[in-house]
Amino acid sequence: MSIEPFNRLVKLAARAFYDDITTKGDNQPKTGRSDNRGIAVVVLDALSRRQWVREEDLAKDLKLHSKQLRRTLRFFEEEKLVTRDHRKETAKGAKIFSAAVAATADGQQPTKEGEEKIKLHTHSYCCLDYAQIYDVVRYRLHRMKKKLKDELEDKNTVQEYVCPNCGKRYNALDALQLISLEDEYFHCESCNGELVAESDKLASQEVGDGDSNARRLRREKLKDMLQNMEVQLKPLMEQINRVKDLPAPEFGTLQAWEARANAQRRAENGESSATDPSKSSHGLGYGGTPMPFLGDTKVEVDFSGVEGKGNDIKSEADTTSLKVLPPWMIKQGMNLTKEQRGEVKQEAKMDDTLAAPEYSDDKKANTEDNEKTLQDEYFKAYYAALIQRQQEEAEKSRQVGMKSKRDENEGDDNVNWEEAPVAGDANGNFKVNDLNVEADATAEDEDDIDWEEG
Amino acid sequence: MFFHIVLERNMQLHPRHFGRNLRENLVAKLMKDVEGTCSGQHGFVVAITGIENIGKGLIRDGTGFVSFPVKYQCVVFRPFKGEILEAVVTMVNKMGFFAEAGPVQIFVSNHLIPDDMEFQSGDMPNYTTSDGSVKIQKDSEVRLKIIGTRVDATEIFCIGTIKDDFLGVINDPASV
Repeated sequence: MSIEPFNRLVKLAARAFYDDITTKGDNQPKTGRSDNRGIAVVVLDALSRRQWVREEDLAKDLKLHSKQLRRTLRFFEEEKLVTRDHRKETAKGAKIFSAAVAATADGQQPTKEGEEKIKLHTHSYCCLDYAQIYDVVRYRLHRMKKKLKDELEDKNTVQEYVCPNCGKRYNALDALQLISLEDEYFHCESCNGELVAESDKLASQEVGDGDSNARRLRREKLKDMLQNMEVQLKPLMEQINRVKDLPAPEFGTLQAWEARANAQRRAENGESSATDPSKSSHGLGYGGTPMPFLGDTKVEVDFSGVEGKGNDIKSEADTTSLKVLPPWMIKQGMNLTKEQRGEVKQEAKMDDTLAAPEYSDDKKANTEDNEKTLQDEYFKAYYAALIQRQQEEAEKSRQVGMKSKRDENEGDDNVNWEEAPVAGDANGNFKVNDLNVEADATAEDEDDIDWEEG
Repeated sequence: MFFHIVLERNMQLHPRHFGRNLRENLVAKLMKDVEGTCSGQHGFVVAITGIENIGKGLIRDGTGFVSFPVKYQCVVFRPFKGEILEAVVTMVNKMGFFAEAGPVQIFVSNHLIPDDMEFQSGDMPNYTTSDGSVKIQKDSEVRLKIIGTRVDATEIFCIGTIKDDFLGVINDPASV
């Protein structure tokens, strides 16, 4: 997939159509200093050398004021040349982006690193949308040609009439209602004023009413315009034809692009699947992004008691170590401490005496369903524990499956007790291949405590 | 463009027509009612060419009228954008001219008249070329192209152009 023809297209289009675009408002005086025409071309050229770029960085590279750049970019966004993305992020998020930038092939080295504050900032990113640019330019050319040709041949143009008194507009299709009996003119329906044919055409400003000389002049002028257009836009049209059958470079959304760039870099560096940006909790915008570039999903279950195993997940441990995560945010495979889960050991111990027997009974029922999927070591450890537990249980005369009783002791009845036995013991760190058998994070944690007690 | 289509209509027939000529009366009334009307969907009904089927009559309570569902074949005329028509000029003014092609009225505005034709006011307003060889006035026959139609529920109005190859006057009444 070659990007070069498309970049050429962008450059040609920029010079053809955006050469004299000024982003200043019309009310400001156009002095020599504030005349920023041509900036659009510079920005587009710069973007054609980049992929996704943070607007601040771009402004720095171009030595432009970021406000001015933003105004230009907003204009391009309206013109559908550029896609933009805004998100709130911390320095960490910015770093991920920087990493992605570093990974891109064109070797744009990020100039800054880590001078951002921890505070959330809204950053804007922009990127050329090549597929759309192709369409936009093509449509623009088509419209230009059509307008001129239509006017030249007066083809398919419905003459419009306007009332000079009340400003009401009619077109030729209303003609039947507009003719009056007194004279040969059209008259306004509401104020009976005499209608005049409207001429909002490009070359007809000086044409009062259709005297033949003026008409001829107008035709000449239109012909010239059309010819000039053909000549001057020829390189652009040729470029359009050249890229017609090429697949447009596609960077995807900002997140997808970042993820892909990072994945690529990891592949190059031979790193293992660490630092998954989707998991790093640096701010908004990353949460549910699908990560198709990360290869097969591997779920590693780390138990909170075994802290050392989690050292391959470096990224979030430092920032979120003390933060209590709400239960709905705890996902499978997250390496969290008990404090993060918001659990207190005392509470777990308190209900342990009551709840413990029931757990094991549930487990027994569940084991039959799941055992085929489990590994051998697991069984050994599990049954050893189970027998021990059953011996304890024999002394008590508790009914199986009465879960409701323990609810008075503990707040979280969301806990998925049924799944507890799957990952519940053995204190090992093994992979569970079947995700359906995967334990809920909270359940496994609770269960862990349970076994330590037992 | 002309089409031969089958349409359906509920005909109300007065009891005085009941008798052995009921069918003839019904058809005569249908022709009188339908021919020359215009619907936006089908265009102008030009002529009824045959009766497909007359359904069972239903006596209206209170009036004694009987309504028959009648299916009939007819020729309809429906103008389309881009169609070439021959029309008779009915009125010429500064803004252009009006022409009729059968039931349909067409307006040709002056900027859709060739540039070499100029408006001449007077007793008989007309558009004439500079050498006077071609003249468009009332009752001239012109061939024109429809460039726009306005279709209402019961009315069709068109605008046309004669600014194209092979369009314009085809028969000048003055020269005949």
